[in-house]
Formats: sequence, C-alpha cells, structure tokens
Amino acid sequence: MALTFDRSILGQEFDHTVFEPVTKEDMLAYATAYGETNPIYLDEAAARSGPYGTLVAVPTFAFRLRGHHFMPKSLAQVGRAGLDAGKDVEFGEPIRPGDVLTASSTIHDIYEKTGRTGTMHFIVIRTLVTNQNGMRVAVIDQRMMFR
Amino acid sequence: MSRPRYFEDVEVGDELPALKLTLSGAQVRAYAETANMPGGRFYGDEEARAEGLPGQIAPGNMSMALFSRLLSGWSERGRLLRLNATFRGLVRPNVPLTFHAVVIEKHASDHGNFVECDLVLENADGERLVTGTATLQLPSRG
Repeated sequence: MALTFDRSILGQEFDHTVFEPVTKEDMLAYATAYGETNPIYLDEAAARSGPYGTLVAVPTFAFRLRGHHFMPKSLAQVGRAGLDAGKDVEFGEPIRPGDVLTASSTIHDIYEKTGRTGTMHFIVIRTLVTNQNGMRVAVIDQRMMFR
Repeated sequence: MSRPRYFEDVEVGDELPALKLTLSGAQVRAYAETANMPGGRFYGDEEARAEGLPGQIAPGNMSMALFSRLLSGWSERGRLLRLNATFRGLVRPNVPLTFHAVVIEKHASDHGNFVECDLVLENADGERLVTGTATLQLPSRG
C-alpha cells in the first residue's frame, strides 16, 4: 500500500476529547481486568499508607481513553487496518477519582522501513493526556504499522 | 503489604520474579471491553479470522498492563515513569506466557532514584512476543 500524505499534518491536532470524570469504579474495573495485585491500586486503606496517600489509578489506565478520531481525515485511506507495532509511554501526574482528563492527539511521525518481507509504513500517533489542572498525566506514542 | 523495594537494595543484573500465566479468551475480551478497545480481533476467534488473523489475540495494551503488574508487584511503592514496548508477535489466549524483567541500570540524582529494566514476554517455545524497557522511581532508605 502506497502511503501518500502531506507532511504539514505532522504535529497538527486532529482529535481533542474531554472525558467524563474518572470514577473509582472505572479505576478498579480496569485494574482487576488484567489482575493487578498491588493493594495500593485496589484498596483505599492500603492506598492511604501508600506513596500517593490516596487511591490512584494504575498507570496504564490512560490506555482506556479513546478519542473521537483515531486518525486525521487526510489519512482516512489507511483506516484501522494496521497493526499496533508498539508504544512509548511517559507517565506523569497520577490519575485520581474525579479527575477530568483531556486527550489531544497529533501525528508525531511517519516513516517507512524495508526489510526481508518488504516495505512497512509506520505512523506514530502521539496522545497527550492532561488533567483538569493542566498537568501532564501521560504522553503516549503509538506506532501503527501498515504494509 | 510487604516491605517496599528500596533503591539501595537493587543491583544491576537483578532479575525480577517472572510473571507466568495463561490468558483465557474471556479474560482477553473482558480486558478489551474494560479498556474501550475496539476491534473484533480481541473479542473472539471468529471475529479475528474475519480480520485475517489466525484467531483471537490479546491487545498490546494488555501485555503492557501485565508488565506494569509485574513491576508494581516487585517494587510495591515504586513509581512507573516510562514504559516502552515493541510488539513482535501475536499474543494469543490459552498459551502459557512468561513476563521477564531484569534491572539493567540504576542511577540517583537530585530528582530521585531510578532503575531501568529490560522487559521480555515469551511463550513456551521461547519466542519473544514483546520486548521493551521500563523506568521506575524507587524510594530510598535515606
């Protein structure tokens, strides 16, 4: 698949989503869905004596935030046919119940690699997650691979 | 709660206790639904085959979450600052999986005490399905 695009799209925000306030129930449901065992993420009493002094979400809770648009319109031909090749994630301020999170997504990079199996195209989607105080909660670089 | 892991107690080369598990198809689907992950490939074999895959697969996010569980269980009060992963193979349900982590670097600065870990998820055949790195901030005895 030839991937044609205008490089001016790099860095332009294509999605800006403000989510409903985080609930304790959402935090616990996510943590238990993959079997988290650390009580500071599961039990309020343990959390009070933990490093944050209160119950916070597990770091990867930010993965469940889904914006309205996965790709900019100009890359609509790519669709969702790609495979998730990997992620680079930086975690910042912990997520607490009641937080109102905002996700802002841009195309961070587009490049190609040629290997034994042919040419692969990569699109790096950067999502910046902030809380209601403007503090950075996470920066998620998702590498999508297309053949 | 068991004792927290202190920076001074960690040495480069330390291997964290491996996390060994076999995901069921229902667990994978439940994670995908809870994590708001679209795509039938995470929901069942039939849906995945319709997308050209050999059968249901676990989301890459779930592998990363399980790495965070391994790191969290080891460090107790450590703070995960960075988590990077490259997805090299399909992670399938009903296959024995082992998540490995080893400390490859430790350093202290005015900003805190940090350890770097190499991460590998492999199946029973030793095939590396996910590789990555993580940075943790650990408490100090000082």
